[in-house]
Amino acid sequence: MTGNDIVDMRVAATESNWRRKGFLEKIFSLQEQEYIKDSCAPDEMVWKLWTMKESAYKAYTRQFGGRFYTPQKFSCTVLSATTGLVVFNNIYYQTNTITTKNYIYSIARPAGVENPDLINSYFYLPQTHYYKTQSFIYKKIIACYNSVTGQIKKNLAVVKDKNGIPFLSCGIDLQVPVSITHHGQFAAFTIH
Amino acid sequence: MTNEALIEKLKEIVKPYVKNEEGFNNLNENTDFLSDLKINSANLVDVILDIETEFDILIDNDSMEKMLNVKAAMEIINTKLAEK
Repeated sequence: MTGNDIVDMRVAATESNWRRKGFLEKIFSLQEQEYIKDSCAPDEMVWKLWTMKESAYKAYTRQFGGRFYTPQKFSCTVLSATTGLVVFNNIYYQTNTITTKNYIYSIARPAGVENPDLINSYFYLPQTHYYKTQSFIYKKIIACYNSVTGQIKKNLAVVKDKNGIPFLSCGIDLQVPVSITHHGQFAAFTIH
Repeated sequence: MTNEALIEKLKEIVKPYVKNEEGFNNLNENTDFLSDLKINSANLVDVILDIETEFDILIDNDSMEKMLNVKAAMEIINTKLAEK
Protein backbone atom coordinates (compact mmCIF):
# COMPACT_ATOMS: atom_id res chain seq x y z
CA MET A 1 0.00 0.00 0.00
CA THR A 2 2.03 2.89 -1.31
CA GLY A 3 1.18 6.57 -1.77
CA ASN A 4 3.12 9.32 -3.51
CA ASP A 5 3.04 13.07 -3.98
CA ILE A 6 5.05 15.52 -6.07
CA VAL A 7 5.24 19.33 -5.83
CA ASP A 8 6.56 21.54 -8.62
CA MET A 9 8.49 24.17 -6.64
CA ARG A 10 8.08 26.92 -9.23
CA VAL A 11 4.32 26.37 -9.46
CA ALA A 12 3.99 26.09 -5.67
CA ALA A 13 5.70 29.46 -5.29
CA THR A 14 3.08 31.11 -7.52
CA GLU A 15 -0.01 29.09 -6.48
CA SER A 16 0.44 28.98 -2.72
CA ASN A 17 1.43 31.62 -0.23
CA TRP A 18 2.25 29.55 2.84
CA ARG A 19 3.22 32.73 4.67
CA ARG A 20 -0.38 33.97 4.67
CA LYS A 21 -2.01 34.22 8.09
CA GLY A 22 -3.39 30.91 9.33
CA PHE A 23 -1.99 28.72 6.54
CA LEU A 24 0.72 26.89 8.51
CA GLU A 25 -1.50 26.51 11.59
CA LYS A 26 -4.23 24.77 9.59
CA ILE A 27 -1.85 22.18 8.08
CA PHE A 28 1.05 21.68 10.44
CA SER A 29 1.46 20.66 14.08
CA LEU A 30 3.52 22.84 16.42
CA GLN A 31 6.51 20.51 15.98
CA GLU A 32 6.23 20.73 12.20
CA GLN A 33 5.98 24.52 12.40
CA GLU A 34 9.23 24.42 14.39
CA TYR A 35 10.88 22.40 11.59
CA ILE A 36 9.86 25.13 9.14
CA LYS A 37 10.91 28.00 11.39
CA ASP A 38 14.31 26.41 12.09
CA SER A 39 15.00 25.45 8.47
CA CYS A 40 17.50 27.38 6.37
CA ALA A 41 15.29 26.48 3.36
CA PRO A 42 11.74 26.99 4.68
CA ASP A 43 10.07 26.64 1.26
CA GLU A 44 11.63 23.22 0.82
CA MET A 45 10.63 22.20 4.34
CA VAL A 46 7.00 23.30 3.85
CA TRP A 47 6.60 21.24 0.68
CA LYS A 48 8.64 18.33 1.95
CA LEU A 49 6.33 18.00 4.96
CA TRP A 50 3.30 18.51 2.72
CA THR A 51 4.34 15.70 0.32
CA MET A 52 5.05 13.43 3.31
CA LYS A 53 1.52 14.05 4.63
CA GLU A 54 -0.16 13.76 1.25
CA SER A 55 1.65 10.55 0.28
CA ALA A 56 0.80 8.97 3.65
CA TYR A 57 -2.84 10.06 3.20
CA LYS A 58 -2.93 8.31 -0.18
CA ALA A 59 -1.37 5.14 1.26
CA TYR A 60 -3.83 5.22 4.18
CA THR A 61 -6.99 5.73 2.11
CA ARG A 62 -5.91 3.08 -0.37
CA GLN A 63 -5.75 0.57 2.49
CA PHE A 64 -8.61 1.73 4.72
CA GLY A 65 -10.87 3.73 2.39
CA GLY A 66 -12.52 7.04 3.22
CA ARG A 67 -12.02 10.55 1.98
CA PHE A 68 -11.27 13.47 4.29
CA TYR A 69 -9.13 16.58 4.69
CA THR A 70 -7.05 16.44 7.87
CA PRO A 71 -3.47 17.25 6.88
CA GLN A 72 -2.62 18.38 10.42
CA LYS A 73 -3.39 14.93 11.86
CA PHE A 74 -0.77 13.25 9.66
CA SER A 75 2.06 13.79 12.08
CA CYS A 76 5.54 14.02 10.54
CA THR A 77 8.95 13.31 11.98
CA VAL A 78 11.95 14.17 9.81
CA LEU A 79 14.61 11.47 10.25
CA SER A 80 17.15 12.61 7.66
CA ALA A 81 17.38 14.71 4.51
CA THR A 82 15.65 11.93 2.58
CA THR A 83 13.70 9.85 5.13
CA GLY A 84 10.83 10.47 7.50
CA LEU A 85 8.01 8.92 9.47
CA VAL A 86 4.30 9.84 9.29
CA VAL A 87 1.74 8.65 11.83
CA PHE A 88 -2.03 8.79 11.41
CA ASN A 89 -4.53 6.89 13.58
CA ASN A 90 -1.67 4.83 15.02
CA ILE A 91 -0.65 3.65 11.55
CA TYR A 92 3.01 4.34 10.74
CA TYR A 93 4.39 5.16 7.31
CA GLN A 94 8.02 5.52 6.33
CA THR A 95 8.67 8.15 3.71
CA ASN A 96 11.43 8.72 1.18
CA THR A 97 11.78 12.19 -0.26
CA ILE A 98 13.74 13.46 -3.23
CA THR A 99 14.42 17.19 -2.98
CA THR A 100 15.68 19.20 -5.95
CA LYS A 101 15.36 22.89 -6.65
CA ASN A 102 12.68 22.10 -9.24
CA TYR A 103 10.53 19.55 -7.43
CA ILE A 104 10.02 17.61 -4.22
CA TYR A 105 8.78 14.03 -4.42
CA SER A 106 7.77 11.76 -1.53
CA ILE A 107 6.74 8.11 -1.43
CA ALA A 108 5.08 6.67 1.70
CA ARG A 109 5.01 2.96 2.51
CA PRO A 110 3.77 1.14 5.63
CA ALA A 111 6.60 1.17 8.18
CA GLY A 112 8.48 -2.08 8.66
CA VAL A 113 7.13 -3.73 5.52
CA GLU A 114 9.81 -4.77 3.07
CA ASN A 115 7.86 -4.64 -0.14
CA PRO A 116 9.66 -2.63 -2.76
CA ASP A 117 7.60 -1.25 -5.61
CA LEU A 118 7.82 -2.98 -8.96
CA ILE A 119 8.33 0.27 -10.84
CA ASN A 120 9.12 3.81 -9.73
CA SER A 121 9.22 6.53 -12.32
CA TYR A 122 9.21 10.31 -12.35
CA PHE A 123 9.36 12.50 -15.37
CA TYR A 124 8.79 15.88 -17.00
CA LEU A 125 5.37 16.71 -18.43
CA PRO A 126 5.11 18.30 -21.88
CA GLN A 127 1.92 20.33 -21.20
CA THR A 128 -0.12 21.16 -18.20
CA HIS A 129 -3.79 21.00 -19.14
CA TYR A 130 -5.19 18.43 -16.75
CA TYR A 131 -6.97 16.00 -19.10
CA LYS A 132 -4.07 15.87 -21.57
CA THR A 133 -1.77 15.40 -18.60
CA GLN A 134 -3.84 12.46 -17.38
CA SER A 135 -3.82 10.62 -20.69
CA PHE A 136 -0.07 11.29 -21.09
CA ILE A 137 0.66 9.75 -17.68
CA TYR A 138 -1.66 6.79 -18.28
CA LYS A 139 0.14 6.01 -21.56
CA LYS A 140 3.50 6.14 -19.76
CA ILE A 141 2.26 3.76 -17.06
CA ILE A 142 0.97 1.27 -19.63
CA ALA A 143 4.15 1.44 -21.72
CA CYS A 144 6.28 0.99 -18.63
CA TYR A 145 4.29 -2.00 -17.30
CA ASN A 146 4.37 -3.55 -20.77
CA SER A 147 8.15 -3.25 -20.97
CA VAL A 148 8.68 -4.75 -17.49
CA THR A 149 6.11 -7.57 -17.55
CA GLY A 150 5.51 -8.20 -21.26
CA GLN A 151 1.73 -7.77 -20.80
CA ILE A 152 0.16 -6.68 -24.06
CA LYS A 153 -0.64 -2.95 -24.11
CA LYS A 154 -4.17 -3.31 -25.42
CA ASN A 155 -5.10 -5.42 -22.37
CA LEU A 156 -3.92 -2.69 -20.00
CA ALA A 157 -5.91 0.30 -18.74
CA VAL A 158 -5.64 2.69 -15.83
CA VAL A 159 -8.95 2.85 -13.95
CA LYS A 160 -10.11 4.56 -10.77
CA ASP A 161 -12.39 3.10 -8.11
CA LYS A 162 -15.33 5.06 -6.66
CA ASN A 163 -13.00 6.85 -4.23
CA GLY A 164 -10.76 7.96 -7.09
CA ILE A 165 -7.98 5.49 -6.21
CA PRO A 166 -6.17 4.34 -9.36
CA PHE A 167 -5.40 0.78 -10.44
CA LEU A 168 -3.82 -0.72 -13.49
CA SER A 169 -6.34 -3.15 -14.91
CA CYS A 170 -4.78 -6.13 -16.71
CA GLY A 171 -7.43 -8.24 -18.37
CA ILE A 172 -10.46 -9.45 -16.44
CA ASP A 173 -9.29 -10.35 -12.98
CA LEU A 174 -5.95 -8.69 -12.28
CA GLN A 175 -5.86 -5.21 -10.76
CA VAL A 176 -2.45 -3.83 -9.89
CA PRO A 177 -2.29 -0.87 -7.46
CA VAL A 178 -0.66 2.19 -8.98
CA SER A 179 0.03 5.52 -7.26
CA ILE A 180 0.01 8.58 -9.49
CA THR A 181 0.89 12.20 -8.77
CA HIS A 182 1.47 15.29 -10.85
CA HIS A 183 1.88 18.99 -10.26
CA GLY A 184 2.93 21.67 -12.72
CA GLN A 185 5.56 20.25 -15.02
CA PHE A 186 6.34 17.10 -13.04
CA ALA A 187 4.66 13.72 -12.69
CA ALA A 188 5.47 10.41 -11.04
CA PHE A 189 4.00 6.97 -10.55
CA THR A 190 4.75 3.80 -8.67
CA ILE A 191 3.40 0.39 -9.60
CA HIS A 192 3.24 -1.91 -6.59
CA MET B 1 -28.72 33.92 3.27
CA THR B 2 -30.41 31.89 0.52
CA ASN B 3 -28.69 28.81 -0.89
CA GLU B 4 -28.34 30.57 -4.24
CA ALA B 5 -26.62 33.57 -2.66
CA LEU B 6 -24.33 31.27 -0.67
CA ILE B 7 -23.35 29.31 -3.79
CA GLU B 8 -22.60 32.60 -5.58
CA LYS B 9 -20.31 33.67 -2.73
CA LEU B 10 -18.57 30.28 -2.76
CA LYS B 11 -18.09 30.58 -6.52
CA GLU B 12 -16.26 33.88 -6.04
CA ILE B 13 -14.09 32.35 -3.31
CA VAL B 14 -13.02 29.21 -5.20
CA LYS B 15 -12.56 30.92 -8.58
CA PRO B 16 -8.82 31.75 -8.24
CA TYR B 17 -7.97 28.12 -7.41
CA VAL B 18 -10.08 26.30 -10.02
CA LYS B 19 -8.24 24.27 -12.69
CA ASN B 20 -11.29 22.92 -14.49
CA GLU B 21 -13.36 25.73 -16.02
CA GLU B 22 -16.11 23.35 -17.15
CA GLY B 23 -16.64 22.14 -13.58
CA PHE B 24 -16.68 25.76 -12.44
CA ASN B 25 -19.31 26.78 -15.00
CA ASN B 26 -21.54 23.92 -13.81
CA LEU B 27 -20.87 24.52 -10.12
CA ASN B 28 -23.76 23.34 -7.92
CA GLU B 29 -24.38 21.77 -4.50
CA ASN B 30 -22.96 18.43 -5.63
CA THR B 31 -19.70 19.84 -6.97
CA ASP B 32 -16.55 18.36 -5.44
CA PHE B 33 -13.69 20.82 -4.91
CA LEU B 34 -10.96 18.33 -5.79
CA SER B 35 -12.38 15.90 -8.36
CA ASP B 36 -14.77 18.31 -10.18
CA LEU B 37 -12.98 21.65 -9.92
CA LYS B 38 -9.46 20.12 -9.83
CA ILE B 39 -8.45 22.47 -7.03
CA ASN B 40 -5.00 21.52 -5.78
CA SER B 41 -5.29 19.96 -2.31
CA ALA B 42 -2.79 22.48 -0.91
CA ASN B 43 -5.07 25.28 -2.16
CA LEU B 44 -8.02 23.81 -0.26
CA VAL B 45 -6.50 25.47 2.81
CA ASP B 46 -6.71 28.80 0.96
CA VAL B 47 -10.38 28.15 0.18
CA ILE B 48 -11.00 27.45 3.87
CA LEU B 49 -9.08 30.55 5.00
CA ASP B 50 -10.93 32.70 2.45
CA ILE B 51 -14.28 31.32 3.70
CA GLU B 52 -13.27 32.19 7.27
CA THR B 53 -12.48 35.75 6.25
CA GLU B 54 -15.51 36.25 4.01
CA PHE B 55 -18.05 35.00 6.59
CA ASP B 56 -16.07 35.98 9.71
CA ILE B 57 -16.24 32.46 11.12
CA LEU B 58 -13.69 29.98 12.47
CA ILE B 59 -13.54 26.56 10.80
CA ASP B 60 -12.23 24.04 13.33
CA ASN B 61 -10.33 20.89 12.40
CA ASP B 62 -13.40 18.63 12.65
CA SER B 63 -15.31 20.82 10.17
CA MET B 64 -12.27 21.14 7.91
CA GLU B 65 -12.13 17.34 7.67
CA LYS B 66 -15.41 17.34 5.68
CA MET B 67 -14.68 20.41 3.55
CA LEU B 68 -14.35 18.52 0.25
CA ASN B 69 -17.43 19.69 -1.63
CA VAL B 70 -19.87 22.58 -2.02
CA LYS B 71 -22.61 20.89 0.00
CA ALA B 72 -20.37 20.28 3.04
CA ALA B 73 -19.01 23.83 2.82
CA MET B 74 -22.57 25.25 2.78
CA GLU B 75 -23.59 23.15 5.80
CA ILE B 76 -20.50 24.19 7.75
CA ILE B 77 -20.92 27.88 6.90
CA ASN B 78 -24.61 27.81 7.86
CA THR B 79 -23.86 26.03 11.16
CA LYS B 80 -21.07 28.46 12.05
CA LEU B 81 -23.19 31.50 11.12
CA ALA B 82 -26.05 30.21 13.28
CA GLU B 83 -23.67 29.82 16.24
CA LYS B 84 -22.61 33.48 16.04
